[in-house]
Amino acid sequence: MAMESIYGGYGDILEEIKNDIQNRIALYTKEEYEKTGIKIYEHLIARVKSEESMREKCRRKNAPETPHTALKIMRDSIGIRIVCSFIDDIYANIRYIKQFHDCTVVEEKDYVRHSKPNGYRSYHMILEMESEHTDISGNTPGRFFIEIQLRTIAMDSWASLEHKLKYKKNIEDQELIVAELKRCADEMASCDISMQTIRDMINSSDS
Amino acid sequence: MRLLLAEDEKELSRALTAILEHSKYAVDTVYDGLAAVESAHSNAYDAMIFDIMMPKLDGVEALRRIRARGDYTPVLLLTAKAEIDDRITGLDAGADDYLTKPFSMGELLARIRSMTRRAGAYSPKKLKVGSVMLDTEEQELSRENSIRLAGKETKLMEYLMMNEGKELSTSDIFGHVWGDGDNTDEKIVWMYVSFLRGKLRSINADITISGDQGGSYVLSVLTEENAV
Repeated sequence: MAMESIYGGYGDILEEIKNDIQNRIALYTKEEYEKTGIKIYEHLIARVKSEESMREKCRRKNAPETPHTALKIMRDSIGIRIVCSFIDDIYANIRYIKQFHDCTVVEEKDYVRHSKPNGYRSYHMILEMESEHTDISGNTPGRFFIEIQLRTIAMDSWASLEHKLKYKKNIEDQELIVAELKRCADEMASCDISMQTIRDMINSSDS
Repeated sequence: MRLLLAEDEKELSRALTAILEHSKYAVDTVYDGLAAVESAHSNAYDAMIFDIMMPKLDGVEALRRIRARGDYTPVLLLTAKAEIDDRITGLDAGADDYLTKPFSMGELLARIRSMTRRAGAYSPKKLKVGSVMLDTEEQELSRENSIRLAGKETKLMEYLMMNEGKELSTSDIFGHVWGDGDNTDEKIVWMYVSFLRGKLRSINADITISGDQGGSYVLSVLTEENAV
């Protein structure tokens, strides 16, 4: 017998909600692009966390591997990452997302302005969305969590390299690499700000 | 280059000023120690020349007060021949050089050139204004978190921090950071000030650079009243 999904019978609903949010953000970008010729994000990735990694996370957090944990305790079953060219675009997307009437921001962390000690920069927010579907706790409308991460292309490429470091054990010169990676993060952040400043200058000179 | 001359003997002061200006220096003249301290606090100089025996405040005490504020501008003391103790206390108070009266103008000019050439060699590697730190060697600006600066941004930030609270004109800044021989357009100063403003914001700095494009800039610590 196949093992029951970690999401119980909610797998399809999670896909549906993910697609809904993804489409709204894509539509916003399309409208903005038609108006201004500016792509408000460079690319977007949306996923429902895989069975395997959700189970692994439950075990890591010492939580029972149940649909309730996956849907109500963990808040990243649905994850959306928005990668932008410029820092201000991150905040434009955030302003737009905050207007969703059926969503409440339940957590928000601005690691763009307050970077982590290792140099990590990104904007994290967790939305709680009201859906017509009954949730696992029996609420109608149901409530589902969506994790959204926003970052620039530079922050994204940095994070992917840092991610490799995190999951690899016994790296030689670990300390040195961590320090140099931090320096790279600070240099990339510096370039992001200079690029934003130059874009602002170009924009203000043609107005 | 801009010099501050504090010499109470009017005639000597006039003669020195004429020769220095002839050598293409901009010169501010004051006639007592207190005025020297005040000028040093409100203006950025490339070097300062102080007579020791001056009314209100002597040259050594004036120098001591200027150094106490973290000002590293090169200072040359003018001393009388008999004042050996003054030379010692003067050097210990932070003077970079001295010259005994009477002196030749050629030697004074050479010593000014020598001092200004070495300026920066003794400037601190780590600067702090408000709670913002600049590590000039690492080119790192930090407060709540940190950010790396480009080479010229570091030089500009250093110049602004060394002259906290003083108005620095676009051409002063250009001359110090890019060098007078540089062919770059002076408009680059505004651009780099804008870069630094963004970078100061990114570390939630409690210092700010005020001033408009093409004008003068002042770096100051944010207080409750002028917080942005």
